Amino acid sequence: MNNIIITLLVLTLASTTFSSNGATVSNAKPTVIALSPHIVEMLFDIGAGEQIIGTSAFADYPEQAKSIPVVGNYLRLQIEKVIALQPDYIIAWQSGNPSDDLTKLKKLGFKIIYSQPNNFADIAKEMRLFGQLIGHQKQAERKAKQLLDELDVIKAQYQDKTPVIVFYELWSRPLTTIAKGSWPQQFLNVCQAQNPFKRVATPYPQVNIEKVLQTSIQLIIQPLSKNQTDKQGFNWQDWPIIPAVKNNQILQPNADAMHRMTARSLEELKHLCSAIDVTRQWLLNNNEQAHASH
Amino acid sequence: MNRPLVVISALVLLIITSAIAGLSFGPLELTNNEIFQCVLFNCANEITDMVIWQVRVPRVLVALVAGMGLAIAGAILQNTTRNPLADPYLFGIVSGAGLGATIANLVLSHELSIALPLAAFLGALFAITIVVLIANVLQRMEQLLLAGVAVSFMLAAITQFILYFGEPFATNRVIFWLMGSLSRVEMSNFYVITGVLVISLIVITALHRQIDALLLGDESAASLGVNVNRLRLLMLGLCAALTATIVAYCGGIGFVGLMIPHIVRQIIGVTTLKLVIGSALIGGSFLIWVDIIARSALSNAEIPIGIITSALGSIFFLFIMVRSKNTR
Repeated sequence: MNNIIITLLVLTLASTTFSSNGATVSNAKPTVIALSPHIVEMLFDIGAGEQIIGTSAFADYPEQAKSIPVVGNYLRLQIEKVIALQPDYIIAWQSGNPSDDLTKLKKLGFKIIYSQPNNFADIAKEMRLFGQLIGHQKQAERKAKQLLDELDVIKAQYQDKTPVIVFYELWSRPLTTIAKGSWPQQFLNVCQAQNPFKRVATPYPQVNIEKVLQTSIQLIIQPLSKNQTDKQGFNWQDWPIIPAVKNNQILQPNADAMHRMTARSLEELKHLCSAIDVTRQWLLNNNEQAHASH
Repeated sequence: MNRPLVVISALVLLIITSAIAGLSFGPLELTNNEIFQCVLFNCANEITDMVIWQVRVPRVLVALVAGMGLAIAGAILQNTTRNPLADPYLFGIVSGAGLGATIANLVLSHELSIALPLAAFLGALFAITIVVLIANVLQRMEQLLLAGVAVSFMLAAITQFILYFGEPFATNRVIFWLMGSLSRVEMSNFYVITGVLVISLIVITALHRQIDALLLGDESAASLGVNVNRLRLLMLGLCAALTATIVAYCGGIGFVGLMIPHIVRQIIGVTTLKLVIGSALIGGSFLIWVDIIARSALSNAEIPIGIITSALGSIFFLFIMVRSKNTR
């Protein structure tokens, strides 16, 4: 009889432990320190925003991200703060976080996952990876698929359009543009915008205005950040000889959304392609009129 | 009790106080009792243990020996070249280390924790070798400093050229690496720097009278039996090795080597042994305090240490200059 009672007791205890373990696994999702604005945004996209317990400076989107404690910036992390937060995972930006601090954290036993999206497909891939890792697989899969589907639609919409020659002003002082290997170049590729500086060896080359004058730029793309005013952009009105300036074909898209490697940049891609298409139509109409008058 | 001994005792006390302060400040708030318990007995929990033994202790110890090393290198170079502006960095050491760091960042970006200090060290030694070769060709050791400045600019230009064509984030990493930081240091770095520091101190102590003779002028030193050129080269090599080791682990920490020996001359003395001991004690304390500011001044970020040494150093330096003019 005693043996039966003991066996029952052991079984009861075992089942309690099992159920309490089960509850721990399902309720407590892993905590994350997300070390760049794009990682924070991606995690919010897949529904894991509440699991972020620390982030880096400039993580300002969505609004809730502003209240997450900051543990450093792209140059230096506050290792003591990271230790105090005890995250289950640290998701770091491979090229944009201090590698020495990350090496130190790895040595201290923290699990570090790297993010390095170089194109739209990478964003989808990373969403899936993070979803799998921190328990949001379904939403991550849905968001990733949505992103890739939308991208295919945009690509199909513009792939046969006539190229428009554009100048992409990344920075005004010194005048800096983009080339192959840079993040914004893929926007131009999809929208059928032809960048005369695409083949330059460095991804973000500085250019002489004389070089810009030599190419017949039909459209100038001058992305501006929320904190940046028109005055901080290059003053194109000084150069009316450039066709784009003469015809007032200058676009000022949202730099924050465009340059941040998240699903939001796809929205910006849609806007940009559509705006470039307006210029394309304008050019076609004007060319037709010019031919007709001859 | 003579004055230098009193001053040195006070400086030793300052180092001990600075080290205790170094363990107390940081973004994670720990009570004095918790720190005391953790250092002498058992830490209250794993977090405190990690913060004290893996973060703060290595930082304080490396700050101590790096500050000592840079100040000693400055003192020795100023005495051996009789140039009050001599500083280990004027010999192209930081530019050479920067070039090494740039190449490591671009070529070996996945193995940076080992590649970066090694490349920076080799770069610094490369710079100093060129400087010495040029000075040898010129047969005029007093032109060492000018050769150093020229080599420094040349290597910086090569670095900037490489960075311009490299990945943009590598540029940022190198630029900010050059501003210096102690956040990446660990105990193994402390052992290496201490080893080089101890060897340097032994050599300097053995040759301090000969270095003192150089203060009288090359001819007077030669007449006292000192092989001027050989001594100067030996000291330059020693300072280069010391600085290159520190720069490799801590990045560019400017002004310590230039400023600290001048302060020591004012309060302790100008002869080599007094200068070296004083520089070591003040330099060590100074860098511990600079690191405390670096990690505590801003709530969400760390300030690169080189910015603070240059800012504090220049103000203090000007203050000393004005004060010495008034008391003259």
